[in-house]
Amino acid sequence: MKTIILIASFFIVLTSNAQQAYEKGMGKAFELWGNQKNDDAANLFERIGRAEKDNWLPFYYAAQIHIIKTFNTKDAEEIESRLKKAQNYLNEAKTFSKDNAEILILEAMLNTAYVVYDGTKYGMTHSPKVEELYQRAKKLEPENPRATLYHAEWQMGAAKFWGKDPKAFCPEIEKAILYFEKESNTTPFYPDWGKDQIKRIQQNCE
Amino acid sequence: MRYLLFTISLLAPLFLTAQTTVSGTVTDPSGIPIPGANIYLEGTYDGASSTDTGSFSFTTAETGDQILVVSFLSFETFILNATVNEMKNLKITLKEDVNSLGSVILNAGTFSAGDNSKASVLTPLDIVTTAGAAGDYIGAFQTLPGTSTVAEDGRLFVRGGDANEANVYIDGLRVFQPFSATANNIPTRGRFSPFLFKGTNFSTGGYSAEYGDALSSVLLLNTIDQPEQEKTDLSFISVGLGVGNTQKWEKNSLSINAFYLNLKPYQEVISQRVDWIKPFESLSGEAVYRHQFNNGLFKLYGGLNYADFELIQEDINIPEGINFGLTNRNLYLNASYKGELGNDWTLATGVSFANDHNDIKIEDTNVDSDDNSAHLKVKLRKRFNNRFKLNFGIEQFLGDFKEDVSATTFGNFQSSFNNNSTAVFGEANIFFNKKLAMQVGIRGTHNSLLDITRISPRASLAYKIAEKSQVSLAYGDFYQAPQQDVLKYNSSLDPEKSSHYILNYLYQNNGRTLRAEAYYKGYDRLVKFDTELPEFGSTFTNNGDGYAAGLDLYWRDNKSFKNFEYWASYSYLDTKRNYRNYPERATPNFAAKHNLSLVGKYWVQDWKSLISTTYNFASGRPYTDPNTPDFLGSKTRTFNSLNMSWAYLISQQKILFVSVSNVIGFDNVFNYQYANTPDVNGNFARRAIRPTADRFFIVGFFWTISDDKTDNQLDNL
Repeated sequence: MKTIILIASFFIVLTSNAQQAYEKGMGKAFELWGNQKNDDAANLFERIGRAEKDNWLPFYYAAQIHIIKTFNTKDAEEIESRLKKAQNYLNEAKTFSKDNAEILILEAMLNTAYVVYDGTKYGMTHSPKVEELYQRAKKLEPENPRATLYHAEWQMGAAKFWGKDPKAFCPEIEKAILYFEKESNTTPFYPDWGKDQIKRIQQNCE
Repeated sequence: MRYLLFTISLLAPLFLTAQTTVSGTVTDPSGIPIPGANIYLEGTYDGASSTDTGSFSFTTAETGDQILVVSFLSFETFILNATVNEMKNLKITLKEDVNSLGSVILNAGTFSAGDNSKASVLTPLDIVTTAGAAGDYIGAFQTLPGTSTVAEDGRLFVRGGDANEANVYIDGLRVFQPFSATANNIPTRGRFSPFLFKGTNFSTGGYSAEYGDALSSVLLLNTIDQPEQEKTDLSFISVGLGVGNTQKWEKNSLSINAFYLNLKPYQEVISQRVDWIKPFESLSGEAVYRHQFNNGLFKLYGGLNYADFELIQEDINIPEGINFGLTNRNLYLNASYKGELGNDWTLATGVSFANDHNDIKIEDTNVDSDDNSAHLKVKLRKRFNNRFKLNFGIEQFLGDFKEDVSATTFGNFQSSFNNNSTAVFGEANIFFNKKLAMQVGIRGTHNSLLDITRISPRASLAYKIAEKSQVSLAYGDFYQAPQQDVLKYNSSLDPEKSSHYILNYLYQNNGRTLRAEAYYKGYDRLVKFDTELPEFGSTFTNNGDGYAAGLDLYWRDNKSFKNFEYWASYSYLDTKRNYRNYPERATPNFAAKHNLSLVGKYWVQDWKSLISTTYNFASGRPYTDPNTPDFLGSKTRTFNSLNMSWAYLISQQKILFVSVSNVIGFDNVFNYQYANTPDVNGNFARRAIRPTADRFFIVGFFWTISDDKTDNQLDNL
């Protein structure tokens, strides 16, 4: 009996030890990210992901940093390598979590980044992908606030391009606001971003 | 006490671990520090990012043998196996990732289009929105340098080579009859709908050892791996109707596509120079099925095409003209598999099969021909690392041709032959660094009909001379079996031979591309015969030869003007050859010395319209005037054509398309046909060979029905 307790407690300590390291590492990575140390943060997320082995979240955030970074980068070579790297991270994330709406939403943003960066080269091939990814994400989680909000933004962009009224998608934003309020997930570090973008996207509705 | 010991032993790992420091610097091959690289011990949390000076330092509780990983964007990941104690003051040099955007490309002789290749010169949209191309995927390639405008034929004439010297491949497998059947001097079209393809490589010379049996050029088409979405496409065009549908389920997808073309209503409205008895009518169906395996992709393509027409062909020697009728049925199947075998081995294999049946009537002569061809191929690729890759494979071509000619004057004549050949090839792809790359290959072909084996070496080299520009060289020997019209009478000939020498300069800068290519191509062992056309009883030899030399220029600019893209191609060609029934070396009728194409596309946001213009110019083409002593000594007037198209996007899924070729109505002459006998004044009368009509109009409406309402058929026009 004693042996069993001994072994069991040993494992508890080990797990909580690993758990602590994970939480500390993720906390540190978010801190770096918050301090604009993007590459350091992405590197740390990658290290955590490689050490954890079965957790999709670190790879998810590493990908997100690279994707966001391309929106204010001009150099084509850098953009292409960052997006390639981000896609690799997302592929890794997907192996740990299949049919994950959050990963699909981020993949939609990655494809959007390609279209934004070079529309003539990637517009034809990547635009339908963006649409399909948002639809798949919404099918998995109909009340996902990020899928609802960013899909609406994408559709507003398309509507503007086609000379139509982007306001048609404003009710979607209202829905997203509702979903953000309802959103609750107990998994630590689970994605919950996007709320602060509502105002910006809502400008299309004025 | 026991309890205390127990607690200590549990907490020991937390408090009593010894810390070791791992440190060093990260630089690129030229010694410049790399900041922001990720350095860590695999499987642990221990690591750091390199600083602005490239240095890094972190502590770890790990001991013994560990794996240190160093990774950074656009560099190859570095891995070090060592004990932690040895990981001090490391000097790590990262190698550049030769697959990144800034690397040198092996591109001599080649134009890529569509598949996001670094060397891409055309986008997927270009292939289909180029004015004058009218939905024919060949049309856009005819605006690239190295091709000659031969508007009465419609096929690709590359660098002084005739159209038979260019071969077409789909997913690595040969297409035996890529063009629709047609009559003399009436341009043909590609058989395949352009939207099936995701990328294209058009090689005007110096191509890979993987491809053979073509003296001048190969056009490599790759079908789409996975369609993006389910949809239905409807097209209503002034000359026909089309319907397409794509379905996806689990790991499968199926696209089907049918098109009916009938020129009769059109030709009743627009007058034609040709006297059609039964205007061109065709029915074609295509289907592509794809299945995704865990480690590979299987694709099956099937196309069936039926065409029928009859006309009176004008002839200077026969005032009432020649009655010509043709019925063609073509079946093409192409099954391919590409997959990973593990350990960086890739397998690409497949088989293509074609059955082509012609029923031709020329006055009271009937020609019935049946042509069965097959291509089987297995290719293996081993990637040793990013810098060294090896391709090798074996392929078998089978050809079975039968022809039955019957006429009241000479009864019945049959000819048949089996044209089988086997080839092996191997090629190494070597990147010395980001600036210097090389490809060397060798191909051996044994043709069983001719009973001849030939070895052809191929090589290309590319060197990056500056950040935005590079120079490349290519060399290769190419062999091709004589054409069907010769083989049916004589099969004791040699393959024809050409050798290519290519020097290429490429400048790419943010949406602007300049490409200049100089080349020399030598021809040898060309087939000659002593009658006007090959026939039973002609004497055939391999004594022909020739050369083609020239300069191809291409300039493209997508950035200087908002919403406006344009490209310009110019080709200078100096060629002479002695082949077929030529009495001496001469420049053939299909080769114009100067060819120029200007293509512009303007997107008018307010009108939701893409307006496209193409201007083609070609200098005069040689022809033989029997009133002079010279063979191919006279020249036609220059060729000019201004084509325009307008795609109006009514909504995201509905497009109205109008296209007019030769808007201004230039009176173009391709060649002359002279009378066999002189008139009373001793002059040979002549007839100009001109387009069937000066202009060609297309009005179409394209409608895509899909769930997400964003796709359209712009890529179909």
